[in-house]
Amino acid sequence: MSKITHSHVRENVKKLIEFSTETKKRNFLETVELQVGLKNYDPQRDKRFSGSLKLPQVPRPNMTICIFGDAFDVDRAKSVGVEAMSVDDLKKLNKNKKLIKKLAKKYNAFIASEVLIKQIPRLLGPTLSKAGKFPTPVSHNDDLYGKVQDVKSTIKFQLKKVLCLAVAVGNIEMEEDVLVNQILMSANFLVSLLKKNWQNVGSLYIKSTMGPKFQLY
Amino acid sequence: MAKRRRAALLPTNIILLQNLVRRDPDVYHDEFLQQYSHYQSLRDIFLMNPSSSDKGTEFGELIGFMSAVCACYPKETATFPNDLKEILLNNHRDLSPDLREKIIQCLTMLRNKDIITAESLIQTLFPLLTAYSASNSTTGQHVKALRHQIYSTLISLLKSVNTGAKNQKINRSTQALLFNLLEQRDNQGLWATKVTRELWRRGIWDDSRAVELMSQAAVHPDVKVAVAGAKFFLGADKEREDNFDDNSSDEEGFDMGALKHKMQVSKKSKKKVKKLDLAVKAVKKKNNAKNITTYLNFSAIHLLRDPQGFAEQIFTNHLTSKQNNKFDLDQKIMFMNLISRLIGTHKLIVLGIYTYFLKYLTPKQRNVTQIMAASAQASHDLVPPESINPIIRKLANEFVSDGVAAEVASAGINTIREILTRAPLSIDKDLLQDLTEYNKSKSKAVMMAARSLITLYREVAPEMLQRKDRGKTASIGIQSGDKRGLPQFGVEGTTVRNIPGIELLAKWRKEQGLGNEEGADDDANWEVDEEDDASDIEGDWVTVDSDKEYDISDDESDKEDEEENNEETPAEAEADDENEVSDLDLSSDEEQDEEEKARPTKKSKMAAAVEAKEQEKKAAEQAMTELLTSRILTPADFAKLEELRTEAGVEKLMGVTQTNEESVDATTLVGKIKYKQLREEKIALAKEGKEDRSFGSRKGQRDQPHSTTNREKARKKNFVMMIHKKAVQGKQKLSLRDRQKVLTAHITKQKKKGY
Repeated sequence: MSKITHSHVRENVKKLIEFSTETKKRNFLETVELQVGLKNYDPQRDKRFSGSLKLPQVPRPNMTICIFGDAFDVDRAKSVGVEAMSVDDLKKLNKNKKLIKKLAKKYNAFIASEVLIKQIPRLLGPTLSKAGKFPTPVSHNDDLYGKVQDVKSTIKFQLKKVLCLAVAVGNIEMEEDVLVNQILMSANFLVSLLKKNWQNVGSLYIKSTMGPKFQLY
Repeated sequence: MAKRRRAALLPTNIILLQNLVRRDPDVYHDEFLQQYSHYQSLRDIFLMNPSSSDKGTEFGELIGFMSAVCACYPKETATFPNDLKEILLNNHRDLSPDLREKIIQCLTMLRNKDIITAESLIQTLFPLLTAYSASNSTTGQHVKALRHQIYSTLISLLKSVNTGAKNQKINRSTQALLFNLLEQRDNQGLWATKVTRELWRRGIWDDSRAVELMSQAAVHPDVKVAVAGAKFFLGADKEREDNFDDNSSDEEGFDMGALKHKMQVSKKSKKKVKKLDLAVKAVKKKNNAKNITTYLNFSAIHLLRDPQGFAEQIFTNHLTSKQNNKFDLDQKIMFMNLISRLIGTHKLIVLGIYTYFLKYLTPKQRNVTQIMAASAQASHDLVPPESINPIIRKLANEFVSDGVAAEVASAGINTIREILTRAPLSIDKDLLQDLTEYNKSKSKAVMMAARSLITLYREVAPEMLQRKDRGKTASIGIQSGDKRGLPQFGVEGTTVRNIPGIELLAKWRKEQGLGNEEGADDDANWEVDEEDDASDIEGDWVTVDSDKEYDISDDESDKEDEEENNEETPAEAEADDENEVSDLDLSSDEEQDEEEKARPTKKSKMAAAVEAKEQEKKAAEQAMTELLTSRILTPADFAKLEELRTEAGVEKLMGVTQTNEESVDATTLVGKIKYKQLREEKIALAKEGKEDRSFGSRKGQRDQPHSTTNREKARKKNFVMMIHKKAVQGKQKLSLRDRQKVLTAHITKQKKKGY
């Protein structure tokens, strides 16, 4: 397809939502994913890109977050209703790789207090950054709830070992308009990251977790 | 008669027979059977007493014959390939070098005729490669030749197997064999690294399994294997690139323009037409190939499966373990370089290496610049600053002081700058300000280094610099409350968070009266894209684009121009406004000081400015989300965006270079130092470029091959034909006076020429 239009996206979103909510409804909240294939892209010559974008709505509300905090932040976390760990808890892991890995697997993202974050590499070793879950810093002045929402709604585009990437942009319980907006926004952002913009895009698909894919571009 | 004679010769003349059999297998069946039985008996004799001193030339010839014709008699020779393999595998030590070579050749031939599979050939050849590897060599040069033969056979075999589609099955089985080699503790693994490296260079193996193989090699206990593995990661990608560049330049061997010109000026012949066609085809093919970069050009370091484990293993096995003495300094530096590249590219955390570097960072250390480069590569923004800080302190103490030579100081400051570009938090204010003092240094290299440090911090954290060093834009920023503050640890600096300049586009669209929905569906806005695809010239497709847009709306170009002017003016006005504000601020800066700042008017002004800034920011954010969510940015939009961005002077943040992935060139760290020249050097410099300078007119001197000129023709012309001409006769008939004139003119001319 040579171009992508608003109405075309809307159509496909309609189909996607219909499939996942009516044709074959699943027992969990399906996520909607944007899948991108790149072309004319030489990963060695063109620098690899990485970008993160804050979407207007949280694409995955069920995301679990853990906060590494000092006493103040742990208290705040409790009031917000997010799980938290203090330095002592982290020290209890005793640099045990398996335990740390378990921790990294258990949560989707981490937040750490500003005072603490410098110790994280020492306490937890490389496992977190290996999993791409290095904590985001939060200071005492920041609104913790806002920060949590920020982290939840931020999506990351990063090229790995293959010339394609996928990112979660929404879920099937979103309104059609909202979903379209999320998709357009992330597609636009991704395209702006690429050196030759649309010329680097091979294909664009949207797909719900269990549903079929729909081609946008 | 002749035929009979030939027939009589056949039993001895194998080559003739081979030729005949190939042409007509059925007729010569009997002769073949005769030879086959002869071969069998010779083989049995050989097997009974393999170590006999007989050179076996006849046997070798027969083997050659059999393998050449065995495609014609598949039934009779079913066991033949197996025989060969067994002889080679079991008795290779007893075979004479020639015979061994012959057998390998024949096996390759059989494989080319698809009589045996590639796998079985590989499985036969591999044991030989290891059996004759350097450690247990027995007989001099034959072994070397043999190894070379096997090696090249293997490479060409894998190449042929992988042309077109990749043959993953054979690749896997070969890689499995190579893995087995690497598991042994001696230097057998060297062959694995050699084969892999060569195949990588040719782009035949480019997957993560090959990389995994090399990573195994790099942590191998044997010195040679480990070094080969490390070299692969540091240099193989460059090699591969060079290889592909070479290939492409080979194709460019002919000049299309020249060919076309030839077609026009010289006689048209079928041959020439054909040549031109071929050339056109080749050019087309090449252009196509360029557009479809099918092979995945990931560097080896990117393809590693477990970079963290790999880096840690190299560090503990090769650099810090007790047996690290087996490596010399250069090899250790190589490992440091490799580990640091890994750390930088994958943002690993290997905290031990920073203290390890400390030991080596002294000016007296040999090859210290390479170690400095490695230490710079090893830093990135996720390493705790207190791990890197000691390195910076050590560098500052050891390298940067008034007592040291200029190149030492500049190397020190440059290294510190390289580290700080990657991890800007790892220095404290005092030390940074000490270092920036060197921008007054007399040595140019040191001065430049210190300046580059200042420029770096003007962007990253101007607050850490002394006031005078902050520069205009940064101090304006600080004044107007646009404080970014110090970069936070844990926030990756290289990720792009928004589309720079998008608010400009939103504004522009508003001014143009375009709704958000409009335009995206318009084909014209997408059209450019495709056209550009066809003639894919790298680089400035954006400018071409915008031109095209104007072309489309040729009739209303006047109107459009006007619009453009309109759109420019607000931007300019805005810029002017900003300048005014900034001027005021600056003047307050110069006038000094607190009292004036305390003046309420100023304060309120500042507060207003801050507020305005914030509002602007919010507006920008809103514009971005609004625009991005409502429509799709077309190629035309991106072109416009680019244009607006350059107009407004928004720095180009797109494609921020990921500094952590770049390697540091050790040679540039020292900077440019000008030594006083020796006399010889001066002379050489003065002479440089003067050798082929020619004076006087270039008339008559032509470089390119050319046909004979008229002048040359006149000179060579037969005298008898010229004798009656006026030019000759006239000379005879000159008056004395004229003759004298000519003579004097000639003499002065000669004198001027220097005769």
